[in-house]
Amino acid sequence: MSAQKDCEFLVKRARELVSDDPCAAKAWLITARTLYPADFNIQYEMYIIERNAERTASAGRLLYDMFINFPDQPIVWREISVITAALRSDSQDKHAQFLRGERSPDSPSAAGRWREGNSDGCVFFLCVFVCLTQGFFETLPGRVQCEMLLKATEQCFNTLEKAEMLLLFLKRFPESVVQHGINLGEKLLEAEASDNVETPVNCFRKLFVCDVLPLVVNNMDMRLPASLMQKYMLKAAEFYIGYVTRGPSPDVQIQGSQEGASLKSPAASRGSQRHVIDGLSEKSSVVAEPWERLLDILAVVGARCEWQGDKGQSYVDMLQRVKELCRYLPGLEGDTRSRCCSQVVICAALVLFRSAFLYVSAVQPALFQGVNALSSGPWILVEDLSSVYNDVEMERGAVKHAHKKRKLADGREKTMSSDDEEGSGKGRGRHISVNKTEMPGWSETLESFRTARESWDLLHSHDGLESEFKKICASWKTDSWLWFRIFLTDTIIYQGQYRKALSSLHQMAAGQQPLPGQQSPSGQGSLEHHRALIQQASCHYALGEYRMACEKLLEVVGALMPPSQEPTKTSEDQGRVKTRMRKGSDLRLLPCTTKAMLPFCLQLMLACFKLRAFTDLRDDLSLGHVVVLLQHDWPQGERLFLKTLEKICHQGSFQYENFFNYVTNIDMLEEFAYLRTPEGGRIQLELLPNQGMLIKNPSPALGAELNTLLLQGVQTMDRHHTVTRGITKGVKEDFRLAMERQVSRCGENLFSVLHRFCINEKIIIIQSLP
Amino acid sequence: MGDIRQSLLPRDVLSAAKELLYHLDIYICNVVQSGRQPPQVDSKTQELVEEFILHAPKDRNTPARRMSALQELQLLEIMCSCFQEQSRDTVRQLMFSALFNLQGNQADESRMSLLGKLVSMAIAVGRVPILECAATWLQRTHRGYCVRLAQVLVDDYCSMVPGSGPTLQNIHNASPRFCCQFITAVTTLYDLTTEELTPPLELLQMIVSWIQEDPGLVLINFLNTALSGNQPISSLDVTPLGGLMRWCVKASLIYSRDKKKGLTNGSAECELEVGPLFSALHLSVLQVLMLLPNILNEKGLFGRLALLQVESLAALTSDLSRLLDQADKHTHTSSTDSSDLSELALDRLAQALQVAMANGALLCSREDLRAICSRLPHNNLLQLVLSGPVLYYNNIHTPPLAFSPHASHSPIASHPTHTPHPPLASSHPQYPAQPFMTGMQFPFRPSH
Repeated sequence: MSAQKDCEFLVKRARELVSDDPCAAKAWLITARTLYPADFNIQYEMYIIERNAERTASAGRLLYDMFINFPDQPIVWREISVITAALRSDSQDKHAQFLRGERSPDSPSAAGRWREGNSDGCVFFLCVFVCLTQGFFETLPGRVQCEMLLKATEQCFNTLEKAEMLLLFLKRFPESVVQHGINLGEKLLEAEASDNVETPVNCFRKLFVCDVLPLVVNNMDMRLPASLMQKYMLKAAEFYIGYVTRGPSPDVQIQGSQEGASLKSPAASRGSQRHVIDGLSEKSSVVAEPWERLLDILAVVGARCEWQGDKGQSYVDMLQRVKELCRYLPGLEGDTRSRCCSQVVICAALVLFRSAFLYVSAVQPALFQGVNALSSGPWILVEDLSSVYNDVEMERGAVKHAHKKRKLADGREKTMSSDDEEGSGKGRGRHISVNKTEMPGWSETLESFRTARESWDLLHSHDGLESEFKKICASWKTDSWLWFRIFLTDTIIYQGQYRKALSSLHQMAAGQQPLPGQQSPSGQGSLEHHRALIQQASCHYALGEYRMACEKLLEVVGALMPPSQEPTKTSEDQGRVKTRMRKGSDLRLLPCTTKAMLPFCLQLMLACFKLRAFTDLRDDLSLGHVVVLLQHDWPQGERLFLKTLEKICHQGSFQYENFFNYVTNIDMLEEFAYLRTPEGGRIQLELLPNQGMLIKNPSPALGAELNTLLLQGVQTMDRHHTVTRGITKGVKEDFRLAMERQVSRCGENLFSVLHRFCINEKIIIIQSLP
Repeated sequence: MGDIRQSLLPRDVLSAAKELLYHLDIYICNVVQSGRQPPQVDSKTQELVEEFILHAPKDRNTPARRMSALQELQLLEIMCSCFQEQSRDTVRQLMFSALFNLQGNQADESRMSLLGKLVSMAIAVGRVPILECAATWLQRTHRGYCVRLAQVLVDDYCSMVPGSGPTLQNIHNASPRFCCQFITAVTTLYDLTTEELTPPLELLQMIVSWIQEDPGLVLINFLNTALSGNQPISSLDVTPLGGLMRWCVKASLIYSRDKKKGLTNGSAECELEVGPLFSALHLSVLQVLMLLPNILNEKGLFGRLALLQVESLAALTSDLSRLLDQADKHTHTSSTDSSDLSELALDRLAQALQVAMANGALLCSREDLRAICSRLPHNNLLQLVLSGPVLYYNNIHTPPLAFSPHASHSPIASHPTHTPHPPLASSHPQYPAQPFMTGMQFPFRPSH
């Protein structure tokens, strides 16, 4: 004899009837409810019948009843969360579908069921609220309704659910935003703070920024202090920037790479864009057009804070506006000044971070989710060395080697073009060259870099601005933003502060070390490492620290595999934007690929040795290295080579034991052979392999004469005076043979030869530099 | 007004009637303007109406004037526009009363006949003011005459002219008050006691659709009436709830009986259709009952006004018990079918009683209910309803009600006065008390 049994009986009868005669089933339940109004199962059964029949109005009303009467029933909350989820995804679906111009297949989730059932998923939940405002609540004043709902909202289990409920409520009753908008916002920010979430891209902030904030700032009935609005503005900016620059989540990356391996369809890249904010669904984790949203909020906040200038501008316009504003800043005082200051700092900071992001996303795409990392690898900002071959005057050489001049006459002049695009009128403008075909968006990228630098400079143009900006950076912990550090490092390099850049690079390398797990199958990690080393090398070079530069370079080269094919020179030459006659203060964006890095390393080494080789002091080793390195990109370095020959002629002799190991260029071989002829000046050339080795292990293959010669050569520095005629003759013969053999090596892969040179001679190379 | 008789006499019937309507209009306007209380027409005027509009014989020696059918149609048309054009409700209402309030004399027959034709015409051409007046008339007139009017309308629209149903369907929109009164009259008319007294299928469908679409329709008359307690005793019920309840409870048995007798034409088809209709209607009735607590509370009548009379329910239960007896006799072999139908009737009765009681439509104790249901066979739900809910309800999941829009005002929420098994002594004297099965185990309870 229990009420429980009675209720079970009543519900059971209703269930039996529901398929054949739903009206009868409902009649049973109505009766049951009047008998046992406090029984949850009876009301839940009523609700289920209405819900399954997709009668939204009555289901909504019943759910509301349950919500009021049984606030502790988990089932009620499950239903409500299903509905709020459906609501949220609905609004996003529409937006997302609009953006993608496609229909996404509905998930078979409960939310999906709701949506399928209703032409408009919102209808259901609105019904709940319509019941609230009309029906039996009609007699209650609006204020009481709000109180009721807020009380109900407080019974939500967690802050997020509560906030979502309240948010729907605010959207339904916009007039209540005045009373509850700020409160909800603060609650979310509090929750975020107390939850110890480590990133601004979290569910609370997302709700705050994307949903609550627009309601609040667009409500003109509210009087908001400027300080609060600026605080909110910065919260929004931090979120959007954090969202845009969020790194790829590890599991997603693997998935993405698998997909990428199997098929290179757009689906693969879309798959890698998946990112779920903890606590939110996949759909509600998506924020469409974050920069635009941020700009929207900025426009409203600006209007409300009485900022100068018209609204609805772009980021670029905004920078121009605050630049102009900045000029008046020193003349302003008091509130006007601080308001102006805030405007400049906030606007310039947003332009800075956006432009810096655009730049870094082109230069280091793998850092970010959503940026298509497959399109191109990292790029390195380095000294532009394309003028390395052109640096030396060759007046005299041209006379002496007139007979060769014809052969070399094609020259490289036509590839040299004057620079003018950028930097004209800008004092410290340095040119950054880039291979246009390899980086399709090069002009936007360079423009972003420039805009970011301008913003950065602007923010550091006044103490007042700088201190404000530093506050923002401190609260956002921008120091820990790897991507931003990359931008800053490149900026410092651009400014020529190489020492600072080096310390920044070292810091970055240290910061990156503890993340070996992030190495993806594509070897992204080692690419990063190479990138840092090359940039360091470039800095060391710019500082004149050639030894350090080469050390870093050779570390990279040692890890590279030489390209199996010789570079096709035509494409390389066409791709090069410009090689200029200007002083070597230009920069270049170098693709972080073996194909591009190896040539650059060779050029940089050449640049290091070139200066040593052509001093007045005799340094055959450096000169020899220069000859070896000049083979790359031949005949670009023809003039320099001629200058080398000139110097050798001037010296009258030249000793470089590695010559036959690493020089395979037919033109060079010819020139050296010529040097020994009477016409060439009978230059004494000591080019045969390592005498030291021969001394220790005299080779029976070599004749006694040669051994003697070599021994003598080692013993006396001024050999050609002591060498007998006969011996010299024998040497001549060996030289000729070696030359002939070398000519047959001309077809060898030059990169393999030079790569071998770098690896085998690493120690000598490094030691021969100061 | 009496002096115009001389001027009316020479005229032909139609123009005399027309002239009188014209003067009546002026006269009533004066009555209303003078603020005379109560505003009513004097007997002289009443006589003129009977003589020149209703054509009741003035006395034995004057032969009754008669109108041709065409003249009558013309008169109805004039009356229609007369009511339509009168903008003042009071005047119109007084006019209608002067013409059609029953006087308990010879003229009442022609009054009823003319009224039937006028209302029928008003339905056809959508004259809302006339329907509104007719609604008031139905409220004030003896139910016998109300039923007669309803009969005329049903005949006109459901029997005489096939396909004219949709026209009648419209009265729901045209005049909800009239519609509500019409339903009450119809449910009073067709009490399901004989075959003739079952509603035509078309009418039934119409009523179900009206109520489904707008359950509040059933209560509209109740809502618009200041219930002063001096309601004429013999008038129609304030709501059709009682009549509808009777229909729903008896329907399953009546229609199955008719089927067995093969009396209803196309019975098989008919029964297929009426089952769901009554099921839906029954649900609607319960839903309407659920609306009551708020309305009754607003009017301050909760617990003071019974929309359902215990007496009429007693009549229903005794009817039902008779029908069940008959059903038993007719089907000795008792197919599960017929016992199912009996169960359905009893389930519905139990549901209606419980929901009506919980929502303050029925003011009686469970003890009273046991008395009036004593002759009915056993039914689980009825037994549960008669004994009432188990009081000490221990459901750990359900905290005390915070707020229930439905339950908070209803007496059942706290189950105040009734114990599950009260002493059997004092039942209503007029209903012979039979032993209530005290402490009987329900078959569904654990022993089962």
